[in-house]
Amino acid sequence: MKKSIEKLWLSFNKARVLYLLVLPSLIFFIIFTYFPLFDGIKISFQDFKFVGKSSYVGFENYIEALYTPGFWRVFRNTIIIGFSNVILTAFIPMLLAVLLNEVKFGIWKRFSQTIIYLPHIFSWVIVGGIWIFILSPNAGLINAVRSLFGLDPIYYMAKEIYARPIIIGSNLWKQSGYVCILYLATIAGINPTLYEAAMIDGAGTLKRTLYITVPELLNTLKIVLLLNIMGSLRMFNQIYVMRNEVIAQKIDVLMYYVYERGLVQFKIGYAAAISMIIFSLTLIITLISKRSLKYSI
Amino acid sequence: MKRTTIGRGLFLIINNSILITLVLTMIIPLLNVLAVSFTTDMESYENTIKLFPRQPSLIGYITLFQRVAILRPFLNNIFVTVIGTFLHVVFCAMAGYVLTKENFLGKAIIAALIIIPNMLPFEMIIIPVFVTVKKLGLMDTLWSIILIKVISTFSILLMKNYFEGIPKSLEESAFIDGAGEYAIFFKIYVPLAVPGMTTITIFQFVALWNQLLPAVLFLNSPEKYTLQIALKSLVVSQELTSTTQSVANNTRMAGIVVAIIPLILLYIFAQKYFIKGIMVGAVKE
Repeated sequence: MKKSIEKLWLSFNKARVLYLLVLPSLIFFIIFTYFPLFDGIKISFQDFKFVGKSSYVGFENYIEALYTPGFWRVFRNTIIIGFSNVILTAFIPMLLAVLLNEVKFGIWKRFSQTIIYLPHIFSWVIVGGIWIFILSPNAGLINAVRSLFGLDPIYYMAKEIYARPIIIGSNLWKQSGYVCILYLATIAGINPTLYEAAMIDGAGTLKRTLYITVPELLNTLKIVLLLNIMGSLRMFNQIYVMRNEVIAQKIDVLMYYVYERGLVQFKIGYAAAISMIIFSLTLIITLISKRSLKYSI
Repeated sequence: MKRTTIGRGLFLIINNSILITLVLTMIIPLLNVLAVSFTTDMESYENTIKLFPRQPSLIGYITLFQRVAILRPFLNNIFVTVIGTFLHVVFCAMAGYVLTKENFLGKAIIAALIIIPNMLPFEMIIIPVFVTVKKLGLMDTLWSIILIKVISTFSILLMKNYFEGIPKSLEESAFIDGAGEYAIFFKIYVPLAVPGMTTITIFQFVALWNQLLPAVLFLNSPEKYTLQIALKSLVVSQELTSTTQSVANNTRMAGIVVAIIPLILLYIFAQKYFIKGIMVGAVKE
């Protein structure tokens, strides 16, 4: 007994520098990830109060969520906007990458890559601000073009019918360059002898693209789909920036709902229950898509 | 043979037209923003296409710094970004190094504790994180938003991969020369891992510069505001609901220009690290 404790102490002592080096990270994850995760599960079963004692209410918060029309509305919005984002931001950049790859003029190719990646590094406040301005009836670019043709200005950000297309379109504008570069990196990694062999066999550009490039891109496509799915479920910043009361019904998503109920109206327990529902959904969807995409991290 | 050449030529024309359109849809909005930021108050409200200002003017920027007082949020942003990035790189490099070591006591547990949070997006625990930050007394401090994302599994794993590429023989010879574990890490591994550290520096810099949600959650007093919050209320004024326009378009666009200049400079000078990091990032996430 004593001997094994001594042995344990010895191996602990041997690695003590390593423990010190990893300590900040462990403390961080415990305080800001693990503790909140378990606390969140607890809070979701409580009628939470900052001051005074919080009482346990069983599944009440969860039941309330399932019977609230507001929850199902944002749920639907998340599915509609999320699904469109997942598909469009995976396939349009793929098409662009295949086209961009056919450009043989080096400087032009590099230049266009540099430019289309740029919006990815801007925050949603910037991108949202740019698009709200461009679509504004108040000297916005699009309405300025319309006025050239003598058309009346349209209040794009105040029409329900445009709300979702604007959210989906601006997301595409921001992310497509980034996704496109993922595909281009894959194409750059394809063994050139494959193309040479195909050329000798008389395959033209179209055939080479269809039978060599596209199949090689499928693996990257899986990664992109997974990234997009995860991104869609956690969408918050874009909606926080671009929403307004007129179009809120069409574009408020789950994470925005959690923020609004929990931290604006301070229904902490209810919001925590919804977070838990989203978190479980995310885990399930991720596992299913990982399995069906046959891709493991 | 001739038909293929014509077909090929036609394809190249269509292809390049698509790409030119694409590049223009990226450039024109940015050019429009830049142009409007240099217009006079009057011109910024004219319903015309503006790709360069008719009468160049700095009035938008003057209003931005004097009346809107963007300097304070801008400096707060620099503080948060610089300190946060520095701590991030130091801590993640340290943890990444530890994960390269084999078979020390508790390695499996430590590795699991580090990797599991990758499956837990920050957005999904904002409610309990808010409660935690409140309990810790960090509410309404800049430290709250520095600390909240100071470590990431992604950067730790990236550094681990980088350290693994460094030959073990270097470490062994230093060990024989009597160097301790600290000296081996700081004097041998860290200098050799500079490119890896540059990659995570750049990604963390951009992430912190753009950080919005934690600032929305934790900051209340205007003198603590970071750039993104200050910009949000400036740029996204609810022109639908309010009848009075307090800030002109030129000032709002000036705000956007001021916020993206640091990012564009970083992008120009460190482009190769961006491209290199993207691929690693996607595979890891």
